[in-house]
Amino acid sequence: MALNYVEVNTDLCKACRVCVETCPKHCLELGSEINALGYQAVRFESTECTACGLCFYVCPEPGVLTVIKGVDS
Amino acid sequence: MRKTLIKGNDAVVRGALLGGATHFFGYPITPASEIAHGAADLFTRSGRTFLQAESETSAINMIYGAASSGARVMTASSGPGVALMLEGLSYMAGAELPAVMVDIQRAGPGLGNIWPEQSDYNMCCKGGGHGAFHNIVLAPSSGQEMTEFAYRAFDMADAYRMTVIILADAYIGQMMEPVGFPETVRHGARKRWAVYGDESSRRNLISSIVMSQTGMSEHNLALQEKYKRVARDLTDWEEIDTEDADFLLVAFGITARVASTAVRQLREEGLRIGLLRPKTLYPFPSERIRELTGRVKAVGVAELNDGMMADDVELAGRGASPVYRYNWFGGMVPTADELASRVKEDLRG
Repeated sequence: MALNYVEVNTDLCKACRVCVETCPKHCLELGSEINALGYQAVRFESTECTACGLCFYVCPEPGVLTVIKGVDS
Repeated sequence: MRKTLIKGNDAVVRGALLGGATHFFGYPITPASEIAHGAADLFTRSGRTFLQAESETSAINMIYGAASSGARVMTASSGPGVALMLEGLSYMAGAELPAVMVDIQRAGPGLGNIWPEQSDYNMCCKGGGHGAFHNIVLAPSSGQEMTEFAYRAFDMADAYRMTVIILADAYIGQMMEPVGFPETVRHGARKRWAVYGDESSRRNLISSIVMSQTGMSEHNLALQEKYKRVARDLTDWEEIDTEDADFLLVAFGITARVASTAVRQLREEGLRIGLLRPKTLYPFPSERIRELTGRVKAVGVAELNDGMMADDVELAGRGASPVYRYNWFGGMVPTADELASRVKEDLRG
């Protein structure tokens, strides 16, 4: 089965939570690890992602989120 | 009018270009970054000037210089950046230099977060920097108004030689809405007081320093006269269902959008609620609020801060009716249901 996936560039994330609150399928959450900037970066953990791209559009940091459509499991 | 689905932040850039902006100096900050991105793209492509400064302090001083030489200059930032620019705003008010600044408010104090608040109200409307000065403060509540206000702001700034602040918030800046654009491009005329580096402007001097007490006193009195003229000429607001209202809501920006839905809901329930939405926060529509406060039973002020505008509403109303305060912080924006139920509680007394 092909799964959609959001790749997170952890060290650039500022943990603003906008993507967490925007994702209609609740695929994103704040992680517990502290990144290089001192923030708890966002984490992708789901099989529900529809690759709608909303997280990408709302993220204020260029290059943090990449939405990948149809990855083979 | 053909409309484009566009973010408020992008709408403000296009409005500014059509309004004759020639220079943009700034430093990107969420939730205002798209304005710098858009300006970097469109200002350069249309033969105007974009420069990313090393800090907001540098940007405001570049603006001082460009405005001195007659440019139609702008910047955009959010609360933390605008705070850094306050010193420059004061110097520009002293030297009577025109400029346009967009403030896409985020939650504070400090770095706070990137969600909407309206807590830059006092900073922008009460002058901000040192000295007795004011900026013209416009409060858009839609993408369409982001374009329209930016389009008109440069003419306003030039006419009164003042800084015009477009005071929006993270939601107004980030929301995508259909926006129509003006069809004609405006251009600034040559300014008789500016320094162009040529023979005819050689004797002009741009400065905010007046060492004699009498001279500085006269300068201040002239500024105060100008602010009175601005209040007479520019005060603007919108009213919804105020003719027969028992209860007057006052709100601006994103909160006014929520309040207009709440007013519609409450009217459907048979309650006589009206809304006054200031489009200019400085000059503030005090006289109209005074009239309405005398007619209604109570006033409610909804805003995303600790009651900064409510203070001005109370002052305008002079105690003719009680003023209820509905305040949210930290990026929390009420739903229309939430606001309507708060109003109903206070109506029951």
